[in-house]
Amino acid sequence: MTNRWEKMLNIDRRWLYLLIAIVVIVPFFIRMGLPVVPTQEVRSVYDLVDSLGPDDAIFIGWDFDPGTEAENMPMGVAVLRHAFARHVPVFITAVSPLGQGLAEQGVASVFDTRVPGNFVYVPWAEWESVREAGYVGRDSLESAWEAAGNPLPEGARGWVFEGVDYAHLGYLPYFSLVILGMGTSIANQYPTDAYGNNLHDMPMLQAHKNLREVDLAVTLAGSSACMWWILYGTSRVGLPVAFGVTAVMATDYFPYIQSGQVVGMMGGLRGAAEYEVLETEGGYTETTGKAYRGMDVQSLAHILIILLVILGNIAYFAGGFHKKTALKSRR
Amino acid sequence: MKRNVPLMIALLGGLLMIIQYFIPHQASQDVFNYYTEWAPLVGAFALILGVGSITRVHVHKIRARAPNWPYSYAVLLPLYLMPVFGLMLPVIMGGGTDGPGFFDFMYSRVQIPIQATMFSMLAFYIASAAFRAFRAKSALATVLLVTAIVVMLAQVPIGDLLGRWLPDTGLWILRFPNLAAKRAIELGVGFGMLATCLKIIFGVERGWLGGAGE
Repeated sequence: MTNRWEKMLNIDRRWLYLLIAIVVIVPFFIRMGLPVVPTQEVRSVYDLVDSLGPDDAIFIGWDFDPGTEAENMPMGVAVLRHAFARHVPVFITAVSPLGQGLAEQGVASVFDTRVPGNFVYVPWAEWESVREAGYVGRDSLESAWEAAGNPLPEGARGWVFEGVDYAHLGYLPYFSLVILGMGTSIANQYPTDAYGNNLHDMPMLQAHKNLREVDLAVTLAGSSACMWWILYGTSRVGLPVAFGVTAVMATDYFPYIQSGQVVGMMGGLRGAAEYEVLETEGGYTETTGKAYRGMDVQSLAHILIILLVILGNIAYFAGGFHKKTALKSRR
Repeated sequence: MKRNVPLMIALLGGLLMIIQYFIPHQASQDVFNYYTEWAPLVGAFALILGVGSITRVHVHKIRARAPNWPYSYAVLLPLYLMPVFGLMLPVIMGGGTDGPGFFDFMYSRVQIPIQATMFSMLAFYIASAAFRAFRAKSALATVLLVTAIVVMLAQVPIGDLLGRWLPDTGLWILRFPNLAAKRAIELGVGFGMLATCLKIIFGVERGWLGGAGE
């Protein structure tokens, strides 16, 4: 009997790897569609974005690297989609060069007009003629743009005008100092955007000159870089900040939610899936996105790991190994 | 001189930044703005030092045929090729940061997949480690194990299906016991940072001088 338990505990680890591989691959082909119930932490972020409009502005900090892309990217895409649907101007920043590239990928996925429900991106240079005729507001811009022979493509949800709805500020080094500096002037820190356009000329920069005139910063982080927004944004100029962090990190930031320093938090893939569910319920998207789909994978992976822990403990105690000093190791 | 001048700069700079924080006046704000504009410039020089230092270390490894010296080429070649292709070469020669080009290829087809792969492998290691090492060997270990199972189930939709009490319990653990422990740790870290900053400003802690003036 003891031998059987010992054999089980010394199982070749490659079998465990195979099991994990199966549970993370199979759900992509067989959808389970398990229900995701939003928590208050995510609902707070959603409600705040939902209360904003064209006169407000938010920052989305793409403060992560490719390692945590699977968790952080869907959060960014979900918040971006929500903000664009409500015509809330969005500033995009990154704390690392890799983050800037990932931000471009995330934004491109929202601007991919081959996918129904996405937005049509109008670069700064393209609507220059309309601008020269005199920019007086977003609604009139949209009318003038469509009147100039630019009908909204079928299936598209709306227009996103660079400089009015969206500005990609890109990466700058020493980002803690950049946040400090943006408390006084955004354009002083970023004279041009990531594509070389002059930010001083952009209507959204003229309406929101510094962080005091910004209504929310959502930092999507895979490291403690998210804390910079609190230390140098919230504490210095009262900037409301929401976190979108990996599941591993989420436990660290509950004290900041309770103290009111953080508006809310999307924790891991689950947090992103909750945001997607709220967006779908709010009528901003037809279907949920990648995070919701990933919850099937995560459900099965968690169940497998729990089963492995239980099996490991059964074998450990049933085999009487808790009374011995060591197992024979062939691991 | 090599020791006292940096110590004086740290003392004056530190005290200035502490004092200006509590003075709500334009002059104080100007000092602060001046500092935030200068600091990245100082940092840019640190980048030059960093690139110089890493180059010297790896060139030395290659020359000395030190253990694993071929990997030094894997450090040095991208370190210099990426800026050359991204910033110097014209688009017609595969330069520029936008695709298609060498820079974009290396970024989206090499760097992103490598980093994502490294992180993804954690799932396999966690499964193996949990099976082999997560044991209810004592009362405290059992509490940890049960808590981990509850929180893991609470984080996935299957937990909702098993019963609403499960995600509620998981959230309760995160919002109360976890919060209390984290706050205690954060306060400890905060006071530690404060003490270290004061020690640096007043010259008690001199490790950052790197032995200058010794």
